[in-house]
Amino acid sequence: MDFFTSMDISASALAAERTRMNLISSNLANVNSTRTAEGGPYRRKDAVFTATPLKEAGSFGAALSRANDARSVQVTQVNEDPRPPRMQYEPGHPDADPNGYVAYPNINVVEEMADMITASRSYEANITATNAAKSMALKTLDLLR
Amino acid sequence: MPVQGIFGTTVELLGKTLDLRAKRQTMISSNLANVETPGYTPTDVSFESQLKSALKGGAKDSGVTNPRHIPLKGRAASLERVQGDVVEVDTRTMGPDGNGVEMETEMGRLAENQIMYNASVQLLGKKFDELKQAIRGTL
Repeated sequence: MDFFTSMDISASALAAERTRMNLISSNLANVNSTRTAEGGPYRRKDAVFTATPLKEAGSFGAALSRANDARSVQVTQVNEDPRPPRMQYEPGHPDADPNGYVAYPNINVVEEMADMITASRSYEANITATNAAKSMALKTLDLLR
Repeated sequence: MPVQGIFGTTVELLGKTLDLRAKRQTMISSNLANVETPGYTPTDVSFESQLKSALKGGAKDSGVTNPRHIPLKGRAASLERVQGDVVEVDTRTMGPDGNGVEMETEMGRLAENQIMYNASVQLLGKKFDELKQAIRGTL
């Protein structure tokens, strides 16, 4: 039924926004991390969103159905920001290079906060869409009374 | 008057409207889900004009292959064939990432679609109530 498709799409967006929110939290938490398991300072992470057709492959009818034009969203890649690390002069720091500079993560806190607001607004919009689909489906059920 | 069954075109029209509005709801969800996907173009189902012309031209185009055949469903047959067209919404503002979704527009359309859907459901309910009343013969 169409409304469940609609809810599935909104749910995929909620999951994607949550993944993005996790990455933003991770970026904010590691704004001063100079060491990582891979070595070097922490690098800013960002989610790459991709519009994906709904999973209905296999059935011929589904291939023809117009509902395939509606697309859900998925995080297909976590991108590491290629911007260079922020160099700060701290000769006493254990991770300082021979010149006394420490490589700090390339994270701009203001940028992360702005991203966080965008993510939470998108999340709210998708919740609203889910609620709309739900109330429409319930209204239709009322016809049976 | 052509034979229209007990339901006539009203129920058929309202049913079709519900169907198409549910489709539009899916499209709006899709647009909202992809509000931050680079390169995404918003889509919509356009059906209003098709429904209108199906209602008007219904009498002559009612699914019969011979003019001497009696159309079974009258106008309802041409209503049934309306599928709606999936169209790309042309947007005024497109961000640098090639995404054309305007969240405000989509939220507005979401609310409108929901209200119109509920209106159709209520009309349908009323129609069935009237039928019930006519069958019972009492208020």
